[in-house]
Amino acid sequence: MSGEEEENAAELKIGDEFLKAKCLMNCEVSLILEHKYEQLRQTSEDPMNQVSQVFEKSLQYVKRFSRYKNPDAVRQVREILSRYQLAEFELCVLGNLCPETVEEAIAMVPSIKTKGRAHDDEAIEKMLNDLSLIKRFE
Amino acid sequence: MFLKVQLPWNVVIPAENLDAKGLMLQKAIVIRLMDEFATKKATKDLGYFLAVTTLDKVGEGKVRQNTGDVMFPVVFSGITFKLYRGEILEGVVHKVLKHGVLLRCGPVENIYLSSLKMPDYQHMPGENPLFLNDKSSKIEKDVVVRFIVIGTKWLEADREFQALVSLDGDYLGPIA
Repeated sequence: MSGEEEENAAELKIGDEFLKAKCLMNCEVSLILEHKYEQLRQTSEDPMNQVSQVFEKSLQYVKRFSRYKNPDAVRQVREILSRYQLAEFELCVLGNLCPETVEEAIAMVPSIKTKGRAHDDEAIEKMLNDLSLIKRFE
Repeated sequence: MFLKVQLPWNVVIPAENLDAKGLMLQKAIVIRLMDEFATKKATKDLGYFLAVTTLDKVGEGKVRQNTGDVMFPVVFSGITFKLYRGEILEGVVHKVLKHGVLLRCGPVENIYLSSLKMPDYQHMPGENPLFLNDKSSKIEKDVVVRFIVIGTKWLEADREFQALVSLDGDYLGPIA
């Protein structure tokens, strides 16, 4: 299996180059890919023929697995999650899976509870409430 | 996880695609990059290439002596997809086998959930085979499953990733 035995996203061990790389939530990828596809549609008769299989499969996936559709809501989700001192990777897992309880959030992103970080259950609860508010007003 | 990456690349533009107007060159470079990604599909380190989002820098072109093609060093931003060990994701079942199920997640098709990694589920053979547990929770074709990645493998010949996943953990399993 994986060459680097050290890699473990649950502990946020995912390699320096990727910790620095910007992660994207499914809903963000959906906006970008749909925009790309729209551009192609305007310049080509058969846009599906112009894109790669990887593009096509990914577009289908992110359309189905985006919790937020409205571009304003997508922006707000990132903005709100950014207030909680999360790593890029953690932010996107939370935005993608939208856990409903503190317990579920910790199960999805165990690294937020590691020692030395300031996330108590109250702060996580508040974050989840903020997220569900965006969903409700979308 | 989908990633936004910035990468340096060398792009070769055939002589006939060169144009006095700079804008055409930009377009030719982007098209060329997209073509290369469509054939390359993925690399071991970066994962799957989805799209080029912006062309950030175009260096000075160098003419290739024999062909007259021009090579440009460029820097571009794009989107990739990579699976990480320990990452929790959602995927869709596309095949039910006797010893487990295959899932699709993003551009990856070979995500294997073995029956060993969902011990409370039993295989139910039939025209539409499925996995069932004693709480009547079903894993069958087209069902969305939340799983954790326990291992990934790069297949050089197919230029694809394979992943092994598990339901061992809280809040994992099929999603109604």
